[in-house]
Amino acid sequence: MTKIRLLALWLVVGLPLLWGIARTLQNAMHLFH
Amino acid sequence: MMTMRTNGDAAAGGISFWDRRRTAARPGFNRFMVPPAALAVHLSIGQVYAFSTFNLPLTRLVGIGHALPADWKLTEIGWIFSTAILFLGAAAAVFGRWVESAGPRKAMAVAAACFGGGFVVSAVGIDLHQIWLLYLGYGVLGGCGLGIGYISPVSTLIKWFPDRPGMATGMAIMGFGGGALIAAPLSLILMNHFKSAASNGVAGAFLSMGCIYFAFMMIGALTVRVPPEGWRPAGWAPPALPKKLITNAQVQVDTAWRTPQFWLLWGVLCLNVTAGIGVIGQASPMIQEMFSGRVSPAAAAGFVGLLSLFNMGGRFVWATISDYIGRRVTYCVFFVLGIVLYASVPAIGRLGSIGLFVAAFVVILSMYGGGFATIPAYLRDIFGTMHVGAIHGRLLTAWSAAGVLGPVLINYIREYQIHSGVPKAQAYSVTMYIMCVLLLLGLLCNLGVRAVDERHHSREPVPA
Repeated sequence: MTKIRLLALWLVVGLPLLWGIARTLQNAMHLFH
Repeated sequence: MMTMRTNGDAAAGGISFWDRRRTAARPGFNRFMVPPAALAVHLSIGQVYAFSTFNLPLTRLVGIGHALPADWKLTEIGWIFSTAILFLGAAAAVFGRWVESAGPRKAMAVAAACFGGGFVVSAVGIDLHQIWLLYLGYGVLGGCGLGIGYISPVSTLIKWFPDRPGMATGMAIMGFGGGALIAAPLSLILMNHFKSAASNGVAGAFLSMGCIYFAFMMIGALTVRVPPEGWRPAGWAPPALPKKLITNAQVQVDTAWRTPQFWLLWGVLCLNVTAGIGVIGQASPMIQEMFSGRVSPAAAAGFVGLLSLFNMGGRFVWATISDYIGRRVTYCVFFVLGIVLYASVPAIGRLGSIGLFVAAFVVILSMYGGGFATIPAYLRDIFGTMHVGAIHGRLLTAWSAAGVLGPVLINYIREYQIHSGVPKAQAYSVTMYIMCVLLLLGLLCNLGVRAVDERHHSREPVPA
């Protein structure tokens, strides 16, 4: 149960961050085109 | 590993749910639940770095597609962000002691109410077209939320991770750098969603963000726990022979800020931040002017995004490295490498190498972020854990000072150069050399840091 809560919490904060990182990298690609 | 269960017996004693004693953990609790709780708060308040997304839409509330005379001016809008940053520093310094005594749950909840509430008050201000409500809402209320939220998880993380304090605080403070990466696209999505013929959607976006950030920060407030008194990670013991710059003693906040060590570290943070903050504000025009005709506005925006990414990543990476090589050595690396990189920027510009230019600045920005993330662990090493959150709060005034000094240096020196007839592409050279001098001063401050004299040590027991 503890491990599931731990995983859920990391997903809740990690997924929005990964989404933001992906969007930033997508924009940064303009630099190398 | 360290397993604990939430404390239940305190409830029977009639202690408030928000009280520090109700947040003490019991066997069954995993300490790795605390960094994401801290991240939930820092990812939210990091939105402040993306506030500029709202600048233009806020100047077109009446005219919708274009600005009308009745619309707010960009200079008036600029004060919303400045007020928020000012209140961030003030709240961190003033409420630091309260945060230590109230505990992380209450402090995070108050930060959530202030930050979320600030958005809601601002949404009302946008709807009524009353700019003072934005100064009061996002600026004052939101700024207090920023300050309290920034310092609220720091001492708790340091107490849970005495074996790796740099990594733990770096993980949380990384969130403050990463918040903008989420907030910038989120703001655009929400404004588009609420856009109509009669509105450009800013009020709706503010209201939604207030609710979203309040809920997200409350996840952190409800999850965070403090370790029980005397708790230590399994199999870990403080080093028997204390290192020269890692104390086992405690210094109270009111004593700490009267020691030379506090002001040397204030100088270290201020000078490291000054060197980076000037670049952040000018990154887009700088790369376009130094490589005139070769970098489009879209590519420059990509460069700014890349800097944000390294600003965020540097917070975790450098703070973690500092656990292994020591805090003083880490800052020496920041200052020496910073001097080398800044000094080489004019030559890189003359070479015309965009790749080298980008590489130099992403490293510089990683060290800017690293400076923020490593300072709580440095304070813990020098002053102990007792009041580390409150001391950190007072040290953040260095950030406010750097926020003025950095952009002023970059902007005014550049203007002066251009007025003196220096070509735009070369106008940044003098600024880069001035940054080198600032970093050299920072290096001297860092080398001057010694252990705190024993007469300043506290005799009081350390609370959990």
